[in-house]
Amino acid sequence: MIACVLIPRFALTTAAGDRSELLRGPVALAPGVGGSGSTQQVGEVSLAAEAFGIHPGMRLGEALSRCPELALIPPDPAGVDDLWERRLLRLESIGAAVEPERPGLVCFDARGLLRLHGGLDGVLRAARGALRVPVRLGLAPTRYAAVAAATRARVRRPEIVGRSADGRVIGRSTAGGTLGRSTAGGTLGRSTADGALGRPTAGGALGRPTAGGRALARDYLAPLPVALLRARPALAELPEALERLGVATLGELAALPAEAVADRFGRLGLVAHDLARGGDTPLRPRTPGEVLRESLELPEATSGLQLERGLGLLVDRLLARRERRARTLRAVVISVTLVERGGTWRTRVVFREALADPVRMRLALTPHLARIPAPAERLGLAVERFGPAAADQRALLQDPADARASRLREAIRQVRAAAGPDAALRVLEVDPDSRFPERRAVLAPFEA
Amino acid sequence: MSGPRRLALPIRIAVRADDRGRPLVVGERSVAAVRESWLVEDRWWTASPLRRRYWEVVTDDGRNEVVFRDLRSGRWWRQRG
Repeated sequence: MIACVLIPRFALTTAAGDRSELLRGPVALAPGVGGSGSTQQVGEVSLAAEAFGIHPGMRLGEALSRCPELALIPPDPAGVDDLWERRLLRLESIGAAVEPERPGLVCFDARGLLRLHGGLDGVLRAARGALRVPVRLGLAPTRYAAVAAATRARVRRPEIVGRSADGRVIGRSTAGGTLGRSTAGGTLGRSTADGALGRPTAGGALGRPTAGGRALARDYLAPLPVALLRARPALAELPEALERLGVATLGELAALPAEAVADRFGRLGLVAHDLARGGDTPLRPRTPGEVLRESLELPEATSGLQLERGLGLLVDRLLARRERRARTLRAVVISVTLVERGGTWRTRVVFREALADPVRMRLALTPHLARIPAPAERLGLAVERFGPAAADQRALLQDPADARASRLREAIRQVRAAAGPDAALRVLEVDPDSRFPERRAVLAPFEA
Repeated sequence: MSGPRRLALPIRIAVRADDRGRPLVVGERSVAAVRESWLVEDRWWTASPLRRRYWEVVTDDGRNEVVFRDLRSGRWWRQRG
């Protein structure tokens, strides 16, 4: 049984911060850049903005023409990521192996936590208690159905697929034991060996839903509108086309022959068809990571040399942390809070090789400060990925030919990192004596 | 780059020729001289044989161009190499 936790308008409320009174009126996160990179779009929108027909992903110009008094809040990607990470850590603290879908939406498998928290209701209570904010909870045999259930849940009443309003389990209990035995309290009970609540597979990835679980998810999804497919970003454009063709619900989509859907919509159509029929890909929980972060409040709006000195200080502080345990750093994130409520800015920097040398780290990080769009009032540096304790053991005496080849490989890596994978190529003779010039040589990636 | 990429692939070009197939205008430029001409035939044992009449010409602005006429389709191509 997959549990889904939904915090509605997470990015919008985070960016609004202490200006929560704004959320009562029409307000949207903007400007954001659309998928093509050339259009400006609105992000999450408030309820009042939705009443004007504004939805996330709408072009900014269209949103403003629909509602001229629409207030715009600049996105706060660093703040959203930080807060979301804290929420995920809290959820992981109750034992949940989480798979975050996007900020504000996360799924985890509730089966392994049933005994720990005394049944499904206990798991939900624990999740709610850990997050300490109003959340909507959905439970279903598949991830997609759980997300659909969470969107229909209320803050105080979780939506559980397979349980009636009076708490009884109404799922079709198959030989495989779809929902297992229902207990006196009406919770979803003991999981069976291969039922919808069954065990994770041996490989660690959680298995696909069983036939009983699929049927339950399919029955639940059938009356829901095809607009729910927008929960999967890759399928965001399908609902409009389906509605134009008269396919209004997921049940109607599921009833169509798979070949017909494939003919019309291709691979994405088949994905949507499988979801509507109760299928889904297995849950892939993230590997809980370590958080090592340092930040610096800047007394005055700062840029340029002062910011560089601040960054140097943060590098030293990070390297001095005992939790680092002498490991090198592979990737870090620089985050900045801009002045005058100008939002936040962040960038991820992957070092060419794992580093523990503060001088080399400063050399690699400092050029990124020039891209900050405004003076900063807070500067942060966090480790995203650690490297091994001894990253690159060099030989005492190195063969000159090996050293030259190694330098060449490194140069090619750098050229490709800067100018793309096509930056270093070589002409390879295939049939040099051919009478047709196009058969004589090909251009292939350069391998040192 | 997904894989090896052929070099010297032929590019379509507009050529005006006389009755004997000798190029008079290549692209926008008049032909000042024909340096060489040769016939290449290959893959005649397959269902898609190759038959090309190559011309190496010098245009009136001094450029050296190699063009060929695909004798099956009648189209003209320019090729480097």
